[in-house]
Amino acid sequence: MPAAIRAEVRKLATVRAPWLLLAAGPLVVLAGVTGLVQSGGNVHQPATQDTALAHVGLAAVFTLLFGILAVAGEYRHGTITDTFLSFPGRRAVVAAKLAVYGLTGALAGVVSSLVAVAATAAWWAARGGSFQLSSTGTWRTLGGGLAVSIAFALIGVGVGALIRNLVAAVAATLAWIALVEGIAGQLLGSGLARWLPLHASESLDRATLTAPAAGLLPQWAGGVLLLGYATAFAVAAMLTTLNRDVT
Amino acid sequence: MTQVEVHGLTKKFGRVTAVRDMSFTAPAGKVTAFLGPNGSGKTTTLRMMLGLVRPTAGQALIGGVPYQRLAHPRRQVGALLEATSFHPGRRARDHLRVLAAAGGIAGCRGDEVLDQVDLAGHAERRVRGFSLGMRQRLGIAAALLGDPAVLLLDEPANGLDPAGHAWLRALLRRQAAEGHTVLVATHLLSEVAQTADHVLIVSAGQLRFAGPLREIGAGDQALESAFLALTGEASYASRDTG
Repeated sequence: MPAAIRAEVRKLATVRAPWLLLAAGPLVVLAGVTGLVQSGGNVHQPATQDTALAHVGLAAVFTLLFGILAVAGEYRHGTITDTFLSFPGRRAVVAAKLAVYGLTGALAGVVSSLVAVAATAAWWAARGGSFQLSSTGTWRTLGGGLAVSIAFALIGVGVGALIRNLVAAVAATLAWIALVEGIAGQLLGSGLARWLPLHASESLDRATLTAPAAGLLPQWAGGVLLLGYATAFAVAAMLTTLNRDVT
Repeated sequence: MTQVEVHGLTKKFGRVTAVRDMSFTAPAGKVTAFLGPNGSGKTTTLRMMLGLVRPTAGQALIGGVPYQRLAHPRRQVGALLEATSFHPGRRARDHLRVLAAAGGIAGCRGDEVLDQVDLAGHAERRVRGFSLGMRQRLGIAAALLGDPAVLLLDEPANGLDPAGHAWLRALLRRQAAEGHTVLVATHLLSEVAQTADHVLIVSAGQLRFAGPLREIGAGDQALESAFLALTGEASYASRDTG
């Protein structure tokens, strides 16, 4: 295993904060599925089942924050100095962070998916519905949620490298999710709004739920677009990191 | 024998020139003290030597090679930059294990250097609970981890107690006696008078003096007078005390 990857894995394994952050994902999924049923979700409709499973994609906001922490967290604690002293070329650092955090984002997505399936199956059984594990809707929704978890972790690494101030990076990201993309979408109209990153993620994890009339891209196109965003952020992270002064 | 050389190093941050045309050599087997008032460009120079800050002009060479092109930087150069560069939630031993993994250094070295800096009993503690002096010793342990032939240390005595000062002095002398290159940026003139072979004095980003300590004269009083005269801080000092 390359030294840069081993170092990133060891960094992750020796602190608690990132794991607490990732653990929030499955908890949100559990609470979301429970809330959906408790607020009167109809367990006899297939769409309700997909709505429950789509919480996996929503929980990806935590892999996004996790990715931000990977880079901006190092600037915050000053450990980036040691990291660059070990790998003065810096390219290996960014590549290792993308690989390790992308993979961990995938694992988080898998855990969230397992929790979503277990919670949905349990509630459906409790309310007399029949949970359809083998339906295409189930797998398209979970697959989309997993893809969003990975892409958001990579985008997070990019955001953390671009906005090195941890508080500013998290604030900007949460503002984008809660506010900015919604307003921008309204200004642009749905024809253009569907090309924005959160809309792309919705076309992935809500593919079976949102009518095409709502103006989202098809699932495959949303996936390609989000992959494009992740690549763009990864390249930006690389370019801005290589020559920047660390004072 | 790895000599450290700096050739015409210049750094401008916007309109501010932090370091101007700096050239010097830190020879192997000697302790070279790097002196200068606050903000005189010492830290920026060290960061340029370590590839963390990109020079506007000039270059720094370690054994004839820029830091960025060293084959095994962690095993060739040990650096201490500031005492706060730890993740507060990481244990002391784990901090060194991360650096060992990154530098291709055997994991057992961590416990050896912790023992060397007298932190062996605190290996399992999170850095959050460390005092400034303990952080400083952990930083020195990290610099020694790869048993490098070059040590670049920025204010290594910061926060150390009197016993720590004596220990650090012995460490630096021993490193030089082993043929290693030791460059220490510091404000502690009395320590320099006892430890250093060579002295570099900078002021306002420019080198004012480079040479053997004995050229300045014996004793820390002579060193202080020379320092104040060369850095133009004499009037400031007399204003403070007068």
